[in-house]
Amino acid sequence: MSASVHQSDRVDSGAVSGLFARYAGPPGTFDELIAEDGEPRPSFRRVVELIGARSAAEFGRAQALAELALLNQGVTFSVYSDTRGAEKIFPFCLVPRLVSAADFRHVERGLEQRTRALGLFLDDVYGPQRALAELPILRELVLGAKHYYPLLSGIRPPGGVRIHIAGVDLIRDPAGVFRVLEDNLRTPSGVSYVIENRLISKRIFPQVFEQARIHRVDHYPTRLAETLRAVSPVAPEDTTAVVLTPGPYNSAYFEHSFLARTMGLELVQSADLFVDDDRVFVRTTRGPRRVHVIYRRIDEAFLDPDVFRPDSLLGVRGLMRAYAAGNVALANAPGNGVADDKAVYPFVPDIIRFFLSEEPVLEQVPTFVCARDDDRRYVLEHLNQMVVKAVDEAGGYGMLMGPEASAELLSEFRAKIVAEPRRFIAQHRVELSTCPTWDGADARLAARRVDLRPYVLTSPAGPWVLPGGLSRVALVSGSYVVNSSQGGGSKDTWVQKDHA
Amino acid sequence: MISRVADHGFWFGRYLERAESTARVLHVTLTMALDAELTKAQCWLPVIIVSGEKAHFASTHEPGAEADGDLVQRYMSWSEDNMTSIRRSVSAARENARSIREVVSLEAWETVNRLYLWIESPEAREEYEVHRYGFYRRVREEVQLCLGLLRSTMLHDTPLDFIWLGVLLERVGQTARVLDVHHHAVAQYHREQAPNGEPFGAKEVETAIWLSLLRACSGFEPFMKQSPGRVSGSAVAAFLILEPKFPRSIRYCIDSSYDRFCAIRPIDQHALPGAETLRRFGALHDWIRGRTAESLAAGSIHELLTHVVDETARICDGIARELFGYGAEAVSTQEQQQS
Repeated sequence: MSASVHQSDRVDSGAVSGLFARYAGPPGTFDELIAEDGEPRPSFRRVVELIGARSAAEFGRAQALAELALLNQGVTFSVYSDTRGAEKIFPFCLVPRLVSAADFRHVERGLEQRTRALGLFLDDVYGPQRALAELPILRELVLGAKHYYPLLSGIRPPGGVRIHIAGVDLIRDPAGVFRVLEDNLRTPSGVSYVIENRLISKRIFPQVFEQARIHRVDHYPTRLAETLRAVSPVAPEDTTAVVLTPGPYNSAYFEHSFLARTMGLELVQSADLFVDDDRVFVRTTRGPRRVHVIYRRIDEAFLDPDVFRPDSLLGVRGLMRAYAAGNVALANAPGNGVADDKAVYPFVPDIIRFFLSEEPVLEQVPTFVCARDDDRRYVLEHLNQMVVKAVDEAGGYGMLMGPEASAELLSEFRAKIVAEPRRFIAQHRVELSTCPTWDGADARLAARRVDLRPYVLTSPAGPWVLPGGLSRVALVSGSYVVNSSQGGGSKDTWVQKDHA
Repeated sequence: MISRVADHGFWFGRYLERAESTARVLHVTLTMALDAELTKAQCWLPVIIVSGEKAHFASTHEPGAEADGDLVQRYMSWSEDNMTSIRRSVSAARENARSIREVVSLEAWETVNRLYLWIESPEAREEYEVHRYGFYRRVREEVQLCLGLLRSTMLHDTPLDFIWLGVLLERVGQTARVLDVHHHAVAQYHREQAPNGEPFGAKEVETAIWLSLLRACSGFEPFMKQSPGRVSGSAVAAFLILEPKFPRSIRYCIDSSYDRFCAIRPIDQHALPGAETLRRFGALHDWIRGRTAESLAAGSIHELLTHVVDETARICDGIARELFGYGAEAVSTQEQQQS
């Protein structure tokens, strides 16, 4: 589907002039900035006027300058497939993605509820397993999940927090309703781009930004550092917290160093740490120094070769013993993967009801669990209309986009689902909402699909939602895939303040 | 400070300094080769020797290749398998900085990253082909900008101490090797061109070599201020070895690198790692302070420079072993106290 097919010549009128003239989203899709009648949505009228006043040439120049600045600053991610380990900038579109104050209030409430419930669920999974007793099919899925680690049972994390940092992927359906697409409760990434993108917006659109009354996002690192200190096994002022990275060749290395730098913490690699007498130390030029909190950005499978992967040379031997002894806090807690598992996702509304006795605030995408006979039958009958996801894959891999798939691929997935139903879930394709996005090749604004990843920090005092988030955008015309590994880019997310 | 981070900082400094120094030596040699009455090989071979890559160059090139100034410049600027080429040095400096992005200030990082991106771009190749001096100048200026930004935008604390320690120890070695090679070249010139007394113009050739040496160390103007008009081998050598106020002299670099080391590893904190290196460093420091212009009698300069280069290498090994934790896993503090 090409966006240009849906271009309709609209009469330039009122606010929709200049850059936004003749802009329209594909039919059957919610465009977040411009309503179906071609007028800007009321909350965003002023921003559309101000940005629209720029000429295409001016805008293209600003876009090119922004990209050069990102490259020079090394705001890049590494591309695994590239043999030279080349770094690319995460493509960035200068047109901001706006979220009204009322919409974000709703999202905020929903995210707080959801992370609270998922935290309680994890406590239960690695504790008494009350919920699993109530929901037999969930029990089966959880105990069989790849990221369920029985050996973590009975360990209470320091400070009682497991999901210190959550990144929850949201989409908006054709009615504009926010729906949760996926929870990321292990090592969600992307927040550094939220902050870097904001710096660029402010530099390039100072007047627009000032008039739009947008919540700040640059206090995130401070809040994160406080969250980490709050779960320390010793007093916050005596705490040494570090950021643990796999190293400069990791695709998210920029973010690891960014967070360490902006929190004023040291960035360490596994080999810098060692465990003695169930305590963690970092090797320094002045001898060993005790470490109390580790914000780990490495997969838990590589945390401790004694426990997870005996064949691994990576990791810190004895780290899990130190953790179990309560001498070091790990953020996020190991074992969280069981709660953001795609197989568990369909049950999150039940989990919220079970633990909080509340109705879920946020909708999610109706999902068929192939392990259930009825669901599986439906999925197989409607395979060419479904999006099928393997529960143990991430980053847009291992997915079937039914409506676009070849007959060959469809039958391949059919066989896989029949063979291993538990590995798959399926959803109808949601028409992701669009945002006007700069198309460099055509030098104009075009409708591109977006999602939103807000970040939730949880300390012993409770959850806090950053008023902003990573807006990922599918830069390819008609594409639904926003992952940076598959040609996605990002936008600055402008969350409006309440009117005073 | 985390040992690995200190290690990267130290090498960040060393590679930065190396890139700048190589660009300067190439630039100066290019100028000198135009009118120095020396053979091409006499001009260009020293460049390779100073970089420490004589054996590698010989093994990868035809005999006599050192007479091809263009080839030597390409080797010293671009070669991927020459560890000391400008390209490799810039890339290594940038890789070390990238590994400790949280430590290097944003402005300094941007400078070295921009230099790296430029070196890897077609524009740099073009600049090299059509405007050679401009290419060398840009490398030097960007590195100098980065060194300046490090000092003006970072806390003057342990991380900067390690970076600066790397810069200064690299500089000690560079100055010592450049001086040694030129000293050797002059002696050789005397043997080959003037075995039976001085031919007409020999004095000018020798002076040209000494002036080019001063320029290769950015020392021409400072030297002229200290000893106006008296360009002799012994005066230049004394200046580059002993002048305490010249920031590239061996004495200055050892003085200040020793200061950096004492800031990192204070003399009175006996429980800290680094006792052995401190002792050796202190000895070198005392020794260079004990040298006088008179003690630099003809013939002893080569021995003096060799001592400096060897001791500097041992100090670098000691830093790697005691502070960065290389080799024998974590020598315990008790053992160090006994030594």
